Amino acid sequence: MLERAGVPAVSICTDAFMVPARAMADVLGYPDFEFVTIPHPIASLTPTEIETTVRQAIGDVVRILTSPIGGSAAPDGGAL
Amino acid sequence: MTAAPELPVVDVEEIRRVMEDYFARGWTDGLPVMPVTGSVLAEFLAQTTRDPDEVLMAMPHLNRECTVRLAAINAAMAGCLPDYFPVVLAAWSALQSEGYVPRAIWQSTTGTAAMLLVNGPIRERIGVNGAGNVFGSGFRANATIGRAIRLTAINTFGLRPGELDQATQGNPAKYSACVAENEEQSPWPAFHVEHGFDPQASTVTAMTMRSVAHIEARHTQVPEQLALDIAGTISRTGALIHETISACIALGPEHAALFARAGWSKDDLRRFVYEHAFNTRERLVAVGKDAVSGKTRWRLSSAHSEAVPDTVADQDEVRVLGSERAVEIIVAGAHNAGVSAVIETFGPRGGPPAIARVEPAP
Repeated sequence: MLERAGVPAVSICTDAFMVPARAMADVLGYPDFEFVTIPHPIASLTPTEIETTVRQAIGDVVRILTSPIGGSAAPDGGAL
Repeated sequence: MTAAPELPVVDVEEIRRVMEDYFARGWTDGLPVMPVTGSVLAEFLAQTTRDPDEVLMAMPHLNRECTVRLAAINAAMAGCLPDYFPVVLAAWSALQSEGYVPRAIWQSTTGTAAMLLVNGPIRERIGVNGAGNVFGSGFRANATIGRAIRLTAINTFGLRPGELDQATQGNPAKYSACVAENEEQSPWPAFHVEHGFDPQASTVTAMTMRSVAHIEARHTQVPEQLALDIAGTISRTGALIHETISACIALGPEHAALFARAGWSKDDLRRFVYEHAFNTRERLVAVGKDAVSGKTRWRLSSAHSEAVPDTVADQDEVRVLGSERAVEIIVAGAHNAGVSAVIETFGPRGGPPAIARVEPAP
């Protein structure tokens, strides 16, 4: 939704939710939408474990945020 | 000697071919569905003056909506008779006003289902069971009206397990959950009358339910003991995701009569349960639910980095119900044993229940 408004965005979900996440992307007309996936679960992790997960995922987050939106050139370039 | 019953003459292979085609298309909850043709659909649509294109329920986040026509197709597939359809329509109205369904609760990991309560003369007319085996099988109206809602969720909204339905476990009511109140064996005004409807009106009440917890209490004539048993069932810590919960007590007629004999009204029971359904602070600490998240307001340990005190942090007895109105009471089941149940509903609640009138067929 944010990307439709020209705002670079990234969705992060745990691997347990990849199928529903893909289904939602299809429903909303973004079949190629790219997610960052992290290991499940997160709700019961300690702050240290969360930080480790974030450090592993941050490269993908930056890569997707700085990629062209929806596979075409982003209106505002999308660079951070 | 009795004559052999007259059997319908049909081509069973043709029926199987149609049934298997519905399975192959994924238009099912796992059980066979009834085939629907234009003429069958017309019989259902003749039960209402509403436009077939009228939207009953929208899920904007899915770009999908359920119209009267789609509800009718799924009701027919579920095995409803056409004269059940006004009840199905009322169920959709009640679910709309109940509020959680259009906000995607059926996609949630919690795995809730719609619980429908039918009141008024329509129960007798179409045979909705409110007596023995009320939560069990064996009654076409109960089985198929609830199933009509679930098939619509699957076929119209695409809420298939593992895809858009992310339920971790779900619950058995996701096949069907539709009961009548046993008004005839209730000592109190019927549920819909309690909430301002005429006794001759028929209504459907919608709840979002997580589970039905069984209560054995065949041992007592003392209303306080029975009410404490009920309160103890409601207050189990496993039910706590939010700070407080809500519930619908389904009293067996024997238990309802026990309270009535002792002079208790529904409000008396409601008040007692509200005051006695609590956990000690120590118990909440033991299960790590003694505080709430400052972000989600879900219960968690006070040791968690997001923890903020719950709203009654100065109290040692922490009530699980936010108000007396967070507990509803119905009478259901056979008058044959000291058995009741707690329908665990979703959300803190406390407002009026979602009740819709069944509009008579034209």
